[in-house]
Amino acid sequence: MTDLIHDPFIQSSALPLLLSLLAVGLIHTVRPGGALPAAGIGATYLAVHALVVGVPALPPPSGMGKLFWAAVAGVALGALIDAAGWRGRAGGAAVATWLAASLVWIAWPVLDSAAAAVGLAVLLAAGMGVVFGTGGAPADSPVASAAVPLALGLAVGGTALFGSSASIAQTGLALAAAAGGFLLWNWPVGRHGAGASLRIAAGIAVLLAGMLTFFTGADAAVLLLALPALLAGRLHRHLPFDRTAAGRAAAGAVLTVAAVLPALAAVAAAYALGGGSSPY
Amino acid sequence: MKMQTLFAAALLGTVALSGAVPAAAAPVAYTVDPAHTAVVFLVDHLGFASAIGRFNTVSGEIAFDKEAMENNRVTVTIDTASIDTNHAKRDEHLKSPDFFNVKEFPRMTFTSTRVEKTGDGAGRLHGDLTLLGVTRPVVLDVTFNKDGVSAASRKETVGFSARGTIRRGEFGMSYGAPNIGDEIQLLIEVEAVKG
Repeated sequence: MTDLIHDPFIQSSALPLLLSLLAVGLIHTVRPGGALPAAGIGATYLAVHALVVGVPALPPPSGMGKLFWAAVAGVALGALIDAAGWRGRAGGAAVATWLAASLVWIAWPVLDSAAAAVGLAVLLAAGMGVVFGTGGAPADSPVASAAVPLALGLAVGGTALFGSSASIAQTGLALAAAAGGFLLWNWPVGRHGAGASLRIAAGIAVLLAGMLTFFTGADAAVLLLALPALLAGRLHRHLPFDRTAAGRAAAGAVLTVAAVLPALAAVAAAYALGGGSSPY
Repeated sequence: MKMQTLFAAALLGTVALSGAVPAAAAPVAYTVDPAHTAVVFLVDHLGFASAIGRFNTVSGEIAFDKEAMENNRVTVTIDTASIDTNHAKRDEHLKSPDFFNVKEFPRMTFTSTRVEKTGDGAGRLHGDLTLLGVTRPVVLDVTFNKDGVSAASRKETVGFSARGTIRRGEFGMSYGAPNIGDEIQLLIEVEAVKG
């Protein structure tokens, strides 16, 4: 059992999927409906991060430690907003502030060049896209919103896999798996709303992208290829499926695949640029 | 009387400066010779064997007192980006935030705090190692090998060997444990030249 838990592949896939199914289910049992159960994605991420990298000291001396504590704050913030039922711009503004502050906090020690400043600006723009630009899907269909952290986690994790950072790879893929657990709870029928906790989960993927950009030799620019995943919500309205259970199930599957395809393109680009091999 | 005291003090000072009176031995400054210094580490890899690596950029100063080893002092700085395990992809990984996080922490430093003599030419070097922004005490078993003019460089040279063990997790470098060992064996060979 101990060997299984320490297996990097289990830590990045089956374990977070299982933990997410349990966490979302537990929150669903306590607070059925609403947007709060998506906090299970972030909670699962934190558990896997602690398992893979360890719980960092406070104050954290490194970027990875800052990422962990920023994620803790974000998950708590998202849960608070969703538990309180805050909707609209106030909740979005709070999440955006959290994401921007976290990115700057993480990047601060290496913001000593124009390239780093440009990297931060691109990440901030992508982060604002994650927070404010993922709408468009019907309110009772969280699949499009949940497909975003799945796709971005997959893109970051897959990109990191090729020689830059195994811990970012593992935690990115774990985030994707955790989002997959939430998606399974909402497929074929949507049970939960898309609120701040889902945006926080996607925001964690942006923070991981920041780690790749600022602290590794990865070709992080390939992650731009994954950004069309943010348009999954808008795509939803154009799908030719009716509002029956079967139609919603089909729409959910198509949206998830549509969001994952750009992420796979980013991973393929990282594979090609990285010489196609991994040191693991 | 006052004039006599001043005169005596001036005379003593002049004699001391001229070297006529033997002064107490003081440590002599040496600089680490990077061409003849190796900082090597061994770490368990999945229980199969130890992976071996080294740091290629090392600098430092040694205040060396042959007569009183406990007076010796050492400061060493290592560029973490100079890590070399003879595998480029693995080196990139070791430079990442998983391990040495070289963009955020480009250097690790060792500063000795005291030397404990354990035998003829042997001692334990106590000091503070700062790695990943964390400073922890470490102890190295040190053997004094030789001092004198090097037949190669014609410079006053001193040589030491040091061995020790650290736990990387204590510095926040926990990734991969226990598959990649927590315990790091250190093998250090140092030559330093006078001045």
